[in-house]
Amino acid sequence: MIALAVALPLLAAFLLPLTGPLRRIVGPATLLLVAAIALNAWPRAQVEPFTVAIGGFRPPLGILFYVDGVALLFVLAVAFSCLLLWPWNEEAGSRKHALTLLLAAGCSGLALSGDLFNIYVFYELVAVASYGLAAGAGSGRAYAAAFRYLVLSSLGSLLALVGIALIYHRTGTLNLAHLGELAPTLLNDPPGLAAFLLLLLGLGVKAELFPVNAWVPEVYAGAERRVSALLAGLVSKLAVLVLVRLLVLVFPTDEARTALLLLGTLGILSGELAAYRARDLARLLSWSSIGQLGIVFVAFAVPGEAGLVAGLAVALHHLVAKPALFLLADRWGGSLESLTGAGRGAPLAGALFVLFALSLIGVPPLPGFWAKFLVLSGLAAQEGGLWWTAAAVILATTVVEASYLFRVVGRLYARGAGGAPAPHATGPLTGAAVLGLVLILGGASAGPLGDALGRMAGQAADRAAYIGRVLPVRTIERPGTLTLNTAPEARP
Amino acid sequence: MNDATTLTLYLGAIGLLAIGIGGLVLARHLFRVVMALAIAEAGANLLLVLTGFRWDAVAPILTGADRAPMVDPVPQALVLTAIVIGVGVQALALALAIRLRQAYGTLDLRLIRARMAAEIDGAAGLAPAGSRDRPAGERPLPPPQPAALPGETRP
Repeated sequence: MIALAVALPLLAAFLLPLTGPLRRIVGPATLLLVAAIALNAWPRAQVEPFTVAIGGFRPPLGILFYVDGVALLFVLAVAFSCLLLWPWNEEAGSRKHALTLLLAAGCSGLALSGDLFNIYVFYELVAVASYGLAAGAGSGRAYAAAFRYLVLSSLGSLLALVGIALIYHRTGTLNLAHLGELAPTLLNDPPGLAAFLLLLLGLGVKAELFPVNAWVPEVYAGAERRVSALLAGLVSKLAVLVLVRLLVLVFPTDEARTALLLLGTLGILSGELAAYRARDLARLLSWSSIGQLGIVFVAFAVPGEAGLVAGLAVALHHLVAKPALFLLADRWGGSLESLTGAGRGAPLAGALFVLFALSLIGVPPLPGFWAKFLVLSGLAAQEGGLWWTAAAVILATTVVEASYLFRVVGRLYARGAGGAPAPHATGPLTGAAVLGLVLILGGASAGPLGDALGRMAGQAADRAAYIGRVLPVRTIERPGTLTLNTAPEARP
Repeated sequence: MNDATTLTLYLGAIGLLAIGIGGLVLARHLFRVVMALAIAEAGANLLLVLTGFRWDAVAPILTGADRAPMVDPVPQALVLTAIVIGVGVQALALALAIRLRQAYGTLDLRLIRARMAAEIDGAAGLAPAGSRDRPAGERPLPPPQPAALPGETRP
């Protein structure tokens, strides 16, 4: 049943040209169905996560979907984000509809997959769909940015593939639970760490991780705002989710956490400082997105449930806030100077921008405050200079963030040489307003929301339970017997 | 002999990866970049096949008769998938390169990058950012220049 959440959008994407007069509604209807499927499985997964073996083959040989609260939460986020950012204004049967559906299928697959190679395939599916969407604006700069994005992202996929080869070489399995069971004996050494770093850099391209995020500002500045919103809001979070699964299940080592913490801190610093220097709103938001993703990485580096709760909170907050800001930038794409007085001409857009800017900075009682608060309290509970450096960096860059966002807000409401930009189209403005409502509701129900996130993080952090659910006792007794190739004999 | 051959194969795979990644970093011509990508992918795929290979085993096809040890089929299935994905991505890259050539009239990556940066700045109504020839770096924002504002072009 839950496998349909991946299969339906995939089918719909390819059958779209054949659906005749229904073409206009097939895509949104499919996404609504995906949301319904996820909601249907929601109560069961909240009580007890379950697995779905594809084709009836049992793991570790068969491949499976692992359905827990976090996975379903992200499937829901995929469905709703794609609906909200659906290319409504394109003519029916446009390729952008198919590409958006492909993106949704790949993202749902990333959220549910419990198998390293399936993750690679879904990651590539998302990647190819996002190249098409990034180039979809049809301008020279969109093609150039998409080409550079494609090259960097393919290089990342290559590194991830080498990491997968290394892992398979040492363990003889690709099932995440089986890997988790074998990791303490087979992957807890320098080659294991190298495999993690390769996967981190490879999957980090989509997650806007520090050294491999050069594509971010040019793609977001060249693509349509809707696409920037999808890539910054949704796709980056799914890549992070995969990395978190790897970190929790397969590489729960201090070295892996330190790598994540370091790269995350550098990402915050570079992103926020570059955003401070940005001269137009689109690139300001791109760099700020890199900074926010850095906070997500730092949060997930904190061991245990505290880190997962904080990371989920920051990721979800960014998932809501950044698409809304990109939608608002739809008509405010020019230089910051040209925005003078724009907020006076468009009161609703201006008010929404202020709301999201305040939440991004972390002003209580907005959700952004609670997210940053959780990260900082998680960091403060750790011992060691690196953790406290990260906390100090987050606090210091909050000031930078406030400075550049207030500079934009000041411009929006400044009096002076008028001539405000064209008013927003209804589509993007409605989308941003819906996200604003979500944000306010989230802030109003911070308590119950925090409890729910805590429960989901508890499920996701429970390594032994994940392994136990996927692999019944039978295979745990003699690991490696079901694979044809165990580590020692595979070495040259 | 087998050990030496295996070692050669591993060195070849890593060498292909190194050549490909080197090419990706150094190449200026778009077509060379795509070729470098293809070479690096060949290296990664070879590495993946080698992880499951055994000299004393047969091809992993069940015939029902003999029970001879078989080569691990999983990496071969994976490599098949990776090759298909790689071909698709390379075709897409070439299509993008054709569009780029049509848009900018060149396949030189550095020229394209410079023109892209200029076009992004131009679309945002900004003066070109500081470059090696014309540094403009001491302030986060250029001073307000009322006369230079694109007021005339606003709708």
